[in-house]
Formats: sequence, structure tokens, C-alpha cells
Amino acid sequence: MTRIKRNVRFVFVLFCGLFLSLLGYLTYFQVYERQKLIESSYNRRLWEQEEAVTRGTIYDAKGRVLAKTVEENGAKKRIYPGGEAFGPLIGYSSKKLGRANLEQALNGELLGISQQDPMMVLRQKVLGVSRGNDVYLTVDSELQNRAYQLFSGRRGALVALDPKTGAVLALVSSPGYDSNSIEQRWELLSKDEKSPLLNRAIQGLYPPGSTFKIVTLAAAFESIPDIESRTYETPGQVVVNGRVIRDYEGFRPGKYDIKKAFSLSSNSVFVKVGLEVGKERLYAKAEDFGFNERISFELPVSTSRFPRFSLMGDDVELAEASIGQGKILATPLQMALVASAVANGGRIIKPYIVQKVVTPLGEVKNFSSPVFLKEPIDIMTANKISEYMVDVVEHGTGRAAGIKGIKVAGKTGSAENPHGKPHAWFVGFAPADDPKIAVAVVVENAGSGGTNAAPIARDVMWQYLKGLK
Amino acid sequence: MDSREEAIYNRSLTAMALVGFLSFLLLSAYRKPVTFLPFYGALAFLTVVFLGYFFTGWVLPNSDKFLFLLSSFLAQLGLIMLCRINPELFKRQVVFFALGVGFFILISFFTKYLLRLELAPFFYWAVTVVLLLLPLLFGVEKGGAKNWLVFDGFTFQPSELAKITFAFYLAGVLKNGRIDSFPRMATEILTVVGLLAISKDLGGAMLFYFTALIVIFVATSRPDIMAVGCFSAAILGVSGYYLFDHVRVRIEAWLNPWKDVPGRGYQIAQSLFAIAEGGYFGTGLGLGRPDFIPAVATDFIFSAFAEEFGFLGAAAVVLMYFLLVYRGIRIALRLQRNFEILLAVGHTVMFGMQIFTIIGGVIKLIPVTGVTLPFMSYGGSSMVMSFASLGILNGLWQSALEGEDDDED
Repeated sequence: MTRIKRNVRFVFVLFCGLFLSLLGYLTYFQVYERQKLIESSYNRRLWEQEEAVTRGTIYDAKGRVLAKTVEENGAKKRIYPGGEAFGPLIGYSSKKLGRANLEQALNGELLGISQQDPMMVLRQKVLGVSRGNDVYLTVDSELQNRAYQLFSGRRGALVALDPKTGAVLALVSSPGYDSNSIEQRWELLSKDEKSPLLNRAIQGLYPPGSTFKIVTLAAAFESIPDIESRTYETPGQVVVNGRVIRDYEGFRPGKYDIKKAFSLSSNSVFVKVGLEVGKERLYAKAEDFGFNERISFELPVSTSRFPRFSLMGDDVELAEASIGQGKILATPLQMALVASAVANGGRIIKPYIVQKVVTPLGEVKNFSSPVFLKEPIDIMTANKISEYMVDVVEHGTGRAAGIKGIKVAGKTGSAENPHGKPHAWFVGFAPADDPKIAVAVVVENAGSGGTNAAPIARDVMWQYLKGLK
Repeated sequence: MDSREEAIYNRSLTAMALVGFLSFLLLSAYRKPVTFLPFYGALAFLTVVFLGYFFTGWVLPNSDKFLFLLSSFLAQLGLIMLCRINPELFKRQVVFFALGVGFFILISFFTKYLLRLELAPFFYWAVTVVLLLLPLLFGVEKGGAKNWLVFDGFTFQPSELAKITFAFYLAGVLKNGRIDSFPRMATEILTVVGLLAISKDLGGAMLFYFTALIVIFVATSRPDIMAVGCFSAAILGVSGYYLFDHVRVRIEAWLNPWKDVPGRGYQIAQSLFAIAEGGYFGTGLGLGRPDFIPAVATDFIFSAFAEEFGFLGAAAVVLMYFLLVYRGIRIALRLQRNFEILLAVGHTVMFGMQIFTIIGGVIKLIPVTGVTLPFMSYGGSSMVMSFASLGILNGLWQSALEGEDDDED
């Protein structure tokens, strides 16, 4: 073959490459870029869709309407029957203000544009369907309302979930707002010092205080084999590098084993335990439980933080970390996952709030199969911690969470913070031997967790368990 | 021709006619009120296809029939989109198509005489330069580039014809397999490219430049020239980015269209939205929103097609263009004389590069430069000259086959 023909073949190979790159890029585009572009707010198809399509309805777990679109004098209007308890969860969809929370996160489904199945799309186009999909949540609106009322206007949040499936049963942020009047009250709400627009349950970051002792305890069980046979003598305080860390008022100095120390939430004992566990292992355990990691959820969740210790004064930092103080910050959702890990034999199931999506033609997209997320502790440790947490509610600081006839497990916390009185915390689950509900409650600047947060958790758990019977 | 091959051609023709009838019937029914314009248009179009096909077979039995079938099929897909976008353009495009087919047959027939003339390469170069100078002197601006001539409301894009003369020039100047005077040739080629750049036809400039590079490589087997050429192109591109606003706009829109969607990134963003909407199977003919895409009848017709016919349709179109390129290469490989080989390669490369440039541009693989998609985009000059180009390939193919027959005698 002449050289020139060899070169012609080379040109052919070059064109094979060029055309393959076209096909390759088109494929890449369909696989990775497509969905993002369809839902891009610049996409005019989306605006058209908004005009033409009636937004789908949002239901709670029992089919009660939380948001729906109605025609009023020819104009479409979105109404929210849920009231204030649902504002920070459901959010709003308004031409003037845009969208927020679930209305934003589920926009694609509610407008019916995140449809993947081409036959379904074609059928809807041909049949002229102009309704988006309906979304069913896992939230029980009675439970949500009850929980919201328990805060009676105080700032705080509550997360309740089914530890075995990850289904979110209630996601409360207080104070809330009524989505129906968002446009009229926008000025007021956006400037309110209590920031009602913030969803504290997933976006609020608080020092977890003594509820974090669950993590410290888990690390201790795994790294100090004889911990249960030890006793700790404490004068009611401990000094680390000159920093004095006290037990709470009313804690009697004396000899405690680890169970009693957990039950009565002794800071001095847990600082000693934490120092023995060591910074690396405590850090690793916190990450096992999901700290420093983004929780994948339908709504954006703030990442809970357990900072790497700095080189200077790390013993003080470690001591504070062992009792959930210092630079540790957690969302109520994160602490609910810690409780549900203990409740579920050590396994964290991915939390979710959308149970199913139903298209106008009746197709159902189900999202309720449990997705295993991580296993921070083994089942033996989980059972032991559960037993300790039961003791907290039966004999310790969490007695206000006790329910007659039901074994409740829990842990209180009173988190010191620079804004005033401690944040009151309670995390727990019930019934302890077959957990159906795990909760985390925080009430901002309310004082002790045992008196301010535990009763809320108690009522919510009781309400839910009563409903199951 | 053997009958098995004949059967394949006939099947292709039938498939094409079926696709056409179905699509145009759908378009007729879909428009409210129902009009028969698409249907009549389709009848006229298919009549031209059948006449063209059988007439070519009759006067030029040695034709490469796939050239005609593939290009007609692509033209049909373009017409379907045009009919859906704008029936006025559709009507005119059917006429352009008929004209194109006429040119295809004429040029297929006359190529061998043209080859015998053996005009000097300088002549072709001069014609190319004049063609590119005309719009600069007397032309009007359209879509940012000044490369149009207007006579009596009749517009013509001389750069489309220049593609053909430029391919002749390249084949002529390189037919001995070496470069007689590198400075002279470099000056001549850069003059042509420079003229295109001055008229702000960046796509055209790129096309001519790379075609020249590849043809030089084929003729001389010198990868060093190709490497230096690519390197200079990179330098030119970077300096163009800093020196000229219209270059910068395009490159920025390519790198990050999302930074300024309402402004610089508008075109490409709308194109990508359309392709995204199409997904794998497309929205279906008539159910997309080509009206959102700017320049949809010309530069961005591929995006509109991808929206309604989906990834599968778009991939099929890319493959059909690839087959056309393959046919061009096949013809080049059958030819004997250097001049003819280079001429076939020049046309094929020009054609293939153009397709890559525009499809790659609208899918954001490379920056968008306004060139047309041959056979599919709306436009008489593009349609007629693309067919003329195929006519030359077909003419070369016949002369190759006739040459082989002579050898056998």
C-alpha cells in the first residue's frame, strides 16, 4: 500500500475517534448531566411546567393533606392545612418568595418532571395529564402537632424516627410558622430573632452535652475491657491541665461504677473515662456514629462536627469532648440517629421522610425499603448501652421520661453554651426491648434536660406507642 | 451491480420513505387546524428522492448510491424538524433540496471533465480568495458573521462554495506528495483562513485550517507539520481569547455557560436543556420546545432533533454522518492518482470536520462556532454545496470504477 493510502486510513481512524467522542459525550451527558439540567431553575420548560401543571398534593403517613393546590376564581392557590407545626418542614411554594424545605426538595416530583420512565412521560403527554405527582410522607401529623404544642413556643426541635426502618415520624422545629400566610408575614418572620424559618431539627447545630456520653460509653466498652468491674472515686469535680470540670449541682461525691455514673450523668467520671479512651478512639467512634459526615436525606442537613483536636491543650479538649461540650456540635437528627443505633442493635438505617410518590396515572414509586447506613457498634455493645439507658430513665436523671408499663431508654443532657441557660436535651427510645420509636429533643436555654426535655420526649413516645395499639 | 447490493439499497430507500410518510402524517395531524402542507411537502420531497435515485442509477450506473441515500435521509430528518419548527422554511428547504439533487447529478456527471482540465492550483486559490472577499466588500452580517451576499432578496453564502474550491486548491498544490515552497503555501492557506477570521466566521476559519493540515499530512506523511500546525492553532486560539471579544464570549460560554445563562451562555444553555429534556427516547415528534432554542433552524437543529427523537435518534444521526465520512474515505482508497485521492480526502475531511464542529459545539464538547449541519440545517447554500461536494465524490468514485474496468480490458 502506498504511503498516501496509509495516511488516508490514519485519517479514517482520526474520524472514528472524533465521532466516538461525540457519542461518548452524548452518553455521558445523558447519564450524569441530564437530571441536573431538567431541574435547573434557568430551564424555561420548568417555568412552563409550573404554569401548566397543578402541583401535586403532600400527604402525611395516614393520608391527611399537608399541602395541596386548589383553583380559586381561576387562579391556582397553594393551601397548607397543617398549620404552624409544619411550616419549617413543608416550607412554601410562592411565586414571590420561591420555594423552601420539602416544597423545594420535592419540586421535581410535585411537578412531575423527575419522571424517568419514557413510556409514562409519553402517556401523560398524549393523555394531556396536567397534574404533578402526589407525595406521601412518613410523618404522622397528629404526632407532629402534639410534639409542636409541647414546646409551647419555646425554641427547640424534636426528631422522632422508627429506628428499624429510618422512617421519620415527626420533625419539629419550634417556633414554626403557618405556610399559608408566608407572603403577608415574610417581613416579620425573616427578621424574627427566634428565626422561625430555620428548621432546627436538621439545620440547628447544638453542643450535645451529656447525651454524647452514649458515644463515650460505646468507645469505653470497646477499648477498656474491665470497665464494668471498676469503680471511680469522685469529689464531684475533676481538674484537667488546670481546667476544673464540675458535676452538676446536687451530685453527691463518692464511689460510682460506670453504670451509676452514666445514670446520674457524672461529668467527672466521664472525663476520666474519656481521657483513658484517648482522643483517637473517641474521634473514631464519633465518626462511626456519623459525625463529620453529610447525612443523606431529602432535605439538606447540617453536618454534625467532632473537630480534630488541636495540638495545644488537647487534654482539655478531649475532656470536654467526652461529655459533649467544647467544640462538638450536633443536629437533633444526628442525636436521634445515635439513639436509634443503640435501639436497633448497633445499626443505623438511613433516615427518610418520603414514603412513596404516586403519579396521576396511578403508578406508585416506593421509597420505603430500609437502607442500611452504618454500624457504629456491635449488637452486644448496643444491648449493654440500652440497658444502661433504661437505668437512666428508671433510676437516674431521666425519670421524667418514664412511661408506666413501658420500658423506656434514654439519656439526658444539659449543654452549656454561651447564650445563657444550658440547652435541655433528651435522646431515647421505647419500648427498650422492641424499639418502635427513637427521639431526640432539644429545648434551647431551658435548663436541665431531665426536667425540660425528657417530659416532651415522654409524651411523644407515649402518644405514638398508644396509637400503635 | 450485484443484486444483493441492489436489494440493500432498495430496502434502505423503503425504510426512508416509511419514516418520512409516518413523520409527515403525524405532523399533518398534530397541527391544529389540520393542514396538509407537511403531507404535500413530503410527497414533493419523496418524489425528488425517487426521481433522483433512479435517474442517477440510469445515467450514472457506477454511482455510489449510498452517498445519495444517506444524504437524502439526513435531509429528510432535517425537513421533518423544519416542518415542525417553521412551515415557511420547510417549503423553501424542499426547493433547496431539489436544487441540491440537481447539482449532485450534474456534478457527478461533469467531475471527470473537470479533472481533465487540470487547472493550476493558483487558479483555485484565487477563486477561493475572491469568494471570501466578496462578502467582506459587499456582504451583509447575519448571526454575527459577515459572510452573506444578497442579490434581489436572494442570499448566498460564498464560503460554502469556497470549501469546494479550497479542496481543489489543496489537492492541486500537494499532488506531488511534497511541498514545493512551504512559505508560499503557508501564506496562501493563512490568507484564506485569515479572510474567514476577519469576517468573524470562526467556525469556517477552524474548518479550513484543520482541513488544510490534514490534507498536508496525507500528502506528505509529515507528522511534524501537523504537530506544529496544531500548536500554532492553540497559540492562535489563546491569543484570540485575549485579543477579540467575540472569541472570548464563545470560549467563556463553553467553559461555564451557567455563569451567565441569560447572556453569554444563553444559546448553549438552551441547547443543553433541549437535549436533556429529550433523554434516551425523546419527547416525541411535535412534543418538544424548539421555540426555546435560538437559531434552531440552522446551527442548533441537532439540539431540537435530540429533544424530540432522544439520544437514540441523535446517535443514529451521528452514525449516519459517520457512514458518509466512511464512504468518502472508501472512495479515496479506491482512487489511483494522488490528485484525486487528495481531492476526495479534502472533501471528506471538510465535511467530517464540519459535522464534528457543529454537533460537538451544540452538545458543549467544544466551543460553539456557527457552522451549519450539512443536509439538516436550513439554508440553500449549505444544502446545494453539500450535495455538490458529494457529487464530486461520486464523480471520483465513477472514474475510479471506470479506471478499473479499463485495466481489466
